Amino acid sequence: MTDRQPPTPPVPNPDYRVNFFRPRPGRMRAKVRYLWVLLLSWAIFALGFQVVLAIIGQPPHGESRLTEMSVFGFPFHFWFTGHFLIVWFIILCVFYNLFIDRLADQHRKRK
Amino acid sequence: MTGDSFKFAPALLLFATLGIILLVGLASRTRHGAYYPGAGAQVGRIGIGAAIASNWMSAASFLGIAGVFYAQGYFALAYVIGWTGGYVLLLILLAAQIRRFGKYTAPEFVEARYASPAARFLSAIIAILISLVYCIAQFKGIGLVFGWIFGLDYRTALLLGAAVVMSYLVLSGSLGAERNQQLQYGLLILSFVIPLMVIAHKLGYFWLIPQIGYSQALQDLAQRGESVNLATAPWAHGSAYQWIALCFTLMVGTAGLPHVLSRFYTVPNVRDARWSVVWGIFFIGLLYWSAPAYAAFARLHDLGGNAASDPESARALADLIILKAGEWAGLSLWLVGVIAVGAILAAFSTITGLLLNGAGAFSYDIYYRILNPRASERQRMKVAKATTLALALIVVLAALNPPWLIAQITAVAFALAGNTLFPVFLLGIWWDRANKQGAIAGMATGIALTAASLLLGGVWPTFGALFPPTSSALLGAPLVIGVMIAVSLLTPPPPESIRRFLAEEVHQS
Repeated sequence: MTDRQPPTPPVPNPDYRVNFFRPRPGRMRAKVRYLWVLLLSWAIFALGFQVVLAIIGQPPHGESRLTEMSVFGFPFHFWFTGHFLIVWFIILCVFYNLFIDRLADQHRKRK
Repeated sequence: MTGDSFKFAPALLLFATLGIILLVGLASRTRHGAYYPGAGAQVGRIGIGAAIASNWMSAASFLGIAGVFYAQGYFALAYVIGWTGGYVLLLILLAAQIRRFGKYTAPEFVEARYASPAARFLSAIIAILISLVYCIAQFKGIGLVFGWIFGLDYRTALLLGAAVVMSYLVLSGSLGAERNQQLQYGLLILSFVIPLMVIAHKLGYFWLIPQIGYSQALQDLAQRGESVNLATAPWAHGSAYQWIALCFTLMVGTAGLPHVLSRFYTVPNVRDARWSVVWGIFFIGLLYWSAPAYAAFARLHDLGGNAASDPESARALADLIILKAGEWAGLSLWLVGVIAVGAILAAFSTITGLLLNGAGAFSYDIYYRILNPRASERQRMKVAKATTLALALIVVLAALNPPWLIAQITAVAFALAGNTLFPVFLLGIWWDRANKQGAIAGMATGIALTAASLLLGGVWPTFGALFPPTSSALLGAPLVIGVMIAVSLLTPPPPESIRRFLAEEVHQS
């Protein structure tokens, strides 16, 4: 399908690169950097915590200091995962929205 | 399966509710005739959030989470976290960009982004498969609850429930309650939380916020029997790997599910749409904070020496546990009936949405776009209706012998979405070089992986341990992404116009 296309004239600045790991400089790079922070906070709290729980847990069922501490009467790990993480997700979404709002407002002013 | 007797009060509640919804649905259809309810109405961010939540809440949330918690304790929180954390992923990485892309179903997006009818065909097949698997879980819920209300055995109840769902679909197109998602959410959450408060009150726990009050119940369980730490101990019912694999699978599955954020795209203002996700997670959270409490209260009854708590009978009871918790705590049948009707409403609206979605994928994306491009509107409608019936038939047959718990069956649908559509969305949005060969190879690999996780687990234990059927996307999604990248790099780049569109329009801010 590429053969029958006529050779296109060279474009002055054909930087259509979209790559999460190598974003274009400028607004997109700022945004992607912020997304990385959010994604890491998301992954570390949700999944990293379980890894820690597994590493320090004792057999047979993974008891550790995190399971013996208590919050609102729940074992800490249970409260953290079952209650707090959902709150944390909401917080992350609020941060994302505030950031994008600010970015959009700046963009509009510059125009 | 349940051995219950006919219950008058819940049956009356069910008929009354279904009747009202049918009337409202018919009335609003004749008055407006518009298909999208929320599109023109002035609902704020909170309202859209409630619509996202009610769109999301199915039998898997309503019956399933409490069921898994009853059977597997802490392991169930992987479902809770997976099904809420997925929205973060979706919001941050995909939602706004897909919206700017302007294609709102998975097959449409895939064809536009990858410029390939073959990729569209494959993604339509995937969308149909996801709908089917998801629906099986919903029908299991319907069968169980109908069985409980009418005192029928599971299979008879399933057929009765299916008949009711189908007559609904025929009578009112999409259900009346679907036309007012805010009302639907309100009904669902009240029918879930108020009986829970009454149960906590009857059992003498802090009833005002039963989501916290059940911690005392967990402690009492810990003191009175050995199933104690089995409820809260981290790895009593599954290893850390299994937990994380399941959680990750549900997260990427949520981000890849075709029907999840449809609300997000029909809202006129992007900013409102973004903020409404915050409310959506909160409203879904209200249900998920409460569900384990039902299971904990039900466990107390087991310890009283009333029921065998061996794993087998626990599994048999699990998916009805929120009703059993009510009965065992001595709630009136009216109140338990409220829970049951809530569960049926949740399952009904999900089934309607999924069947219409699946039928749409077949009649539009496969029949009209590929098999018969000259089909008239009427022919397409006919095909859509026939497909809806055929899909329902397949689902009911599959649900006659449900292999697992509701939440587990649903998780397989998420695994398929996470292994196929998620990578195609993610790379489609964030990597301009991804092309149609990569997308097709990736989706094919994803389907093969998901099928293998279902079929090969018994024959090849190492594979089964690494790719559990409910959790295959922890390794599966990265693998598929790798395949997509490799194949894309080995084949010509996608057309210039698409890359420019992606860079200039989709990623404009």
